Amino acid sequence: MAEDAIDVLNTYRVEAGLSHGELWLRYFELGGMSSGFELETFLYGLVTPAPRDHDVIAHALNERFSELGGDHPVAYLGDVHEN
Amino acid sequence: MSQITDPSRFGVTTTSEGQSVVLALRGRVENQAAFQLGAILDSTIDGRPESVILDLSDLDFMGAAGMVAISNAERRLVDLGVSLTVRSPSVLVNRLLAMMETAEETRLERALPAHGHLGPEDMSSTFAVSERWASSMSSTDPRRVSALPADPDVVDGALRLVVELTRSCVSGADGVSVSLLRHGRLSTVAASDQTIMAMDADQYATGEGPCVDASLEGHWFHSESLDTETRWPSFIPRARVLGIKAILSSPLKAFGQPVGALNIYSRTAETFEIKDQETAAAFAQKASVILTDAGAGVSEMQMASRYKEALRSRNIITMATGVLMEREGIDQDKAFTALLRLSLHHGESLLRRAEAIVLSTIQTESELPSGANG
Repeated sequence: MAEDAIDVLNTYRVEAGLSHGELWLRYFELGGMSSGFELETFLYGLVTPAPRDHDVIAHALNERFSELGGDHPVAYLGDVHEN
Repeated sequence: MSQITDPSRFGVTTTSEGQSVVLALRGRVENQAAFQLGAILDSTIDGRPESVILDLSDLDFMGAAGMVAISNAERRLVDLGVSLTVRSPSVLVNRLLAMMETAEETRLERALPAHGHLGPEDMSSTFAVSERWASSMSSTDPRRVSALPADPDVVDGALRLVVELTRSCVSGADGVSVSLLRHGRLSTVAASDQTIMAMDADQYATGEGPCVDASLEGHWFHSESLDTETRWPSFIPRARVLGIKAILSSPLKAFGQPVGALNIYSRTAETFEIKDQETAAAFAQKASVILTDAGAGVSEMQMASRYKEALRSRNIITMATGVLMEREGIDQDKAFTALLRLSLHHGESLLRRAEAIVLSTIQTESELPSGANG
């Protein structure tokens, strides 16, 4: 997968088998504050999400990949590995 | 939402960029404008350009007829070996192009460069999306919780687009409809004409037909020639009277459950080839995604309980973030990152870790009095 593709988040969404609506609900569940429409603009790379928003989306996707028995392929922007 | 006080006029500016012809569209592309667009594209293609760039950045609205015009032009261009670039397509146009199985040769250029996924720039002004579908989602408070399920009108609008696109892309399709199970009954939510509407109604009335079976059983039904068809004895004669010779019904599913069918009717027998069946299946699959997104087939009770659950989780995560903010003296974003870190470190979901953090404060508080006594 091309990591620098503009719609990389959407590619992950498709791979995770989540509809736009389902991903939005999971994103909302984790504290995401943007609307479903805004989320789509992030996924397709039309608007750049704030770092926190990006990480909420990344984690919603990663938790889904965990449920499917995979690892966490979506990178975070925040420093989640310190200490 | 549909009241447009100042309908922006459709217009095209033709310029050249090196060896490419650039067509910059503006205003609304629907009805008459779509025919104009088709004619302009045709004459542009007749000039045998090396490549064509369709710039949609000033576009206010792209209707199904406009998409069909682009799709037709695209097919001509592919045949001629001419490349097509669609510049700044909106989210909806993107989806529709993907739905129409846009040729690999066609490039989609978004408004933004592909690099720099983290930038302080406010990008919101660089894309203009005002299609009904998109605007209906964004016109109200962007933070409203009820973004799901989508407004039924919006879903029906999207399904009408699917009908129109299917009709133009499946050869031999004289009429197309979408039937959906709503409140336990099948009804036609989009149809290309009255005959097709009647055709569906006849199936609901007799309780049989490929549309009914596809909607209930969740797999496709194909009647290659109604003259020799032996299934559905009550319905088939009615279809024959209306001049229908072949029917192809593909199931629509939401969350994997059958909820309706995409029906294609033809006045020619044995007209649907394997390739048409595949195209129909692809459209049905895309329509199924729209329906799943919209929460079709999910009862309000189920939807309400999902919201409740989501809201509960969200509250716990917010509380845990607050606890970390206080404990560590950090801001909200840092606290969220800290929560993420803890969740990953413990190999637990964010919710589980948040619950543990919230619980730890309750225990600490309940231990306080005994601590004070002791």
